[in-house]
Amino acid sequence: MKKFMTLLLALVMSVGMFTACSKPAEEKVEETTTVTEEAAVDLTILKEADDKMLNTYTVIAVDPEAPFTDADGNAVSDVAVNTAGADALIQWLLLEDTAALIAAYGEEEYGNTLFYNLEGAPVYAGEIAPATEETKTIRLSTTTSVKDSGLLGAILPVFEEAYGYTVEVQSAGTGKAIAAAKYGNADLILVHSKSQEEAFVEEGFGRVLEGFDAERLSFIYNYFVLCGPSSDPAGVKDAATVLDAFAAIAEGKYIFISRGDGSGTHTKEISLWSADLGITAEPESFASYTEWYTSANAGMGACLVMAEEMEGYILTDKATFLTFVANNGIM
Amino acid sequence: MQTAFMKAISLIMTADASLIDILITTAKTSITSSLIALIIGVPLGILLGAGAFKGRGILVMLNRTLMGMPPVVCGLLFYMLFSGVGPFRHLRLLFTVEVMILAQTVLITPIVAGNMESFVSGISELIKETAKGLGLGRIKTFYLIMNESVYQIFSAYLLAFARAIAEVGAVSMVGGAIAWKTNVMTTAIMQYTNMGDFALGIALGIILMAISLLVNIVLYVLQRRLSR
Amino acid sequence: MKIRAFSKTYNGKTVLKTEDMFFGKGKIYAVIGANGSGKSTFAKIISAIEKADDGRSVTDGESIGYMSQKSFPFRMSVKENVMLKVKDETLADTLMEWLEIKHLSEHNAKGLSGGETARMALARILMEKYDMVIFDEPCASMDMKSTLLSEEIIRDYCGDKECVVILITHSLSQAKRVADEIIFINEGRIVEQGETQKILENPEKEETREFIRFYGI
Repeated sequence: MKKFMTLLLALVMSVGMFTACSKPAEEKVEETTTVTEEAAVDLTILKEADDKMLNTYTVIAVDPEAPFTDADGNAVSDVAVNTAGADALIQWLLLEDTAALIAAYGEEEYGNTLFYNLEGAPVYAGEIAPATEETKTIRLSTTTSVKDSGLLGAILPVFEEAYGYTVEVQSAGTGKAIAAAKYGNADLILVHSKSQEEAFVEEGFGRVLEGFDAERLSFIYNYFVLCGPSSDPAGVKDAATVLDAFAAIAEGKYIFISRGDGSGTHTKEISLWSADLGITAEPESFASYTEWYTSANAGMGACLVMAEEMEGYILTDKATFLTFVANNGIM
Repeated sequence: MQTAFMKAISLIMTADASLIDILITTAKTSITSSLIALIIGVPLGILLGAGAFKGRGILVMLNRTLMGMPPVVCGLLFYMLFSGVGPFRHLRLLFTVEVMILAQTVLITPIVAGNMESFVSGISELIKETAKGLGLGRIKTFYLIMNESVYQIFSAYLLAFARAIAEVGAVSMVGGAIAWKTNVMTTAIMQYTNMGDFALGIALGIILMAISLLVNIVLYVLQRRLSR
Repeated sequence: MKIRAFSKTYNGKTVLKTEDMFFGKGKIYAVIGANGSGKSTFAKIISAIEKADDGRSVTDGESIGYMSQKSFPFRMSVKENVMLKVKDETLADTLMEWLEIKHLSEHNAKGLSGGETARMALARILMEKYDMVIFDEPCASMDMKSTLLSEEIIRDYCGDKECVVILITHSLSQAKRVADEIIFINEGRIVEQGETQKILENPEKEETREFIRFYGI
């Protein structure tokens, strides 16, 4: 009984502490807006909309007749792929109405367009088959940048409500997202790495939709952005091209945060350094640059925090950066 | 940190529908898997701790090895088994709560069994001697050992539940962290962290810890009551 | 009642080796010997708690009760402990009354003192009618009063039930008080067996004489 009382006391005390903690917090709500300006993120976009930093998204339907193999390399012929569902979602993504929906995304929340419609992208104007009991679940494998930007969360409910499908979105790094499809765990993929997409199609995993002429259907794009401290010590803002900007960072040995995790962003960053630096994904390649080149081997969010802390430059996708800023970069 | 606390409280206050869905999925997964692990692990642990049969030592060692299995390896294993190209593809279980429970059960049953084994092996000699001296049968002896272990069973369950609810490697692998379906607290925290929304990640972490505290309190009271 | 010859070896070392032995119904046999002489092993093998080297039973399937030196109090009331094997409430009450633990019958057995636990264990074993009962130091943690009480009850049980009682003890005075015969074990051998008075006063073997002189009565 005594112990029970002690426990009760502890509970009351902890509840008390909670309320004590929460009260001043509530009072401070108004203050936060003013505090925000002081604590706001210093990291700013210095270079964007450069053709070198173009980031094109492509959708590919998975072919059920693809040469699937199990973990031991044995052929597997009866992999279940929801082709009707994949068709419906791809057709919907390529509707003119959907294009407008995508172009408008981000204006409201971030005051900034996050995705643009690709000029000359394939357009669908026909009927879309509604879901049946067998086809209603669609497995979409995509990269984290698409999902984390909130784009899918904003547009997919429109599709689901109109046609009765449920889209199960799994997101991972580009490599893993494509691997999931090869393991027979996706009906379609939405990724942004041309070389890996082409390899996927070449291996026979892609499927051409009726009325279209290619497996790879590229339809939207956005830009990577180069961010850095607002004081911009390297003078990146005034550089003529993004290549010049990267050269200026290396020249002045200003801190640069690299994802270092083999992601699409990492791959893009490596391609932007001048060739004579010789930076690749291999750790040996930047061993002599460690005083300024920081290989974080972490996710985009964690790297942004690091760049903010270390007042360094960083290449990031615009959507994650805007989320980061919206949250004041506060932990 | 204050922002995170505020976010946690406002998240609870507003009872956001997606948060509730995540909470329900988390509870369903971790409670079911830890209960199954308890039902299998307790008898198994008693057999390993009190049984006298050949190969007992090897089984104990094997169990202790399994206790150290990294969750992501367990997840990977089940991912391969239930993949579209895997041997169990026809069950269509990948990315479901069921396979998450299965993977977690495999992950935590050895922990329950190992926990029980080390406790039971300490008391079993005396109990077996006393029971045999009275001429009691095996089933009765098993029951007596179980009856002596009530306190320990609660501890083992708490350990299993804590591991299940905090685990991310296995559930993210086989569950895919699909919104409204297989997203649990830990995978959601990971997603927010990757997005750079650390405050929301911590807010979810605070809620997770609060649930853990609640479960601990309830079980603590039950444990005191029942094992007196 | 016959106990077949057996031997017991631990890690290549023989700790006990015996010849065929015979016991009479309704008699109490005290097994005496120094620590480590093999007394407890003797008790455990006869009661089949442990197996002899050849793995065979040393008896012909008679019912045998065994009360361990460290009898376990189970996590339940004293009364439930006593009635674990035989669900006879009247008998349980009588035994508990005799052993002066009746007032504890609803208490949790875990809270008993050493002496109370030993008396509860004694009551628990005496509930059943066995062909043979082996007590391994039943009075080790009892005070003198409880010891004398327990001895009387054991004697009564033995006579009433016509049962063979083997009492492992380190106390020669206890052996003298209750036993009809004494078995002396030394260094893993049964040295001598005979009537209590004869063994205590005029043993045949020199090592028995030495043991008795050393320990005194």
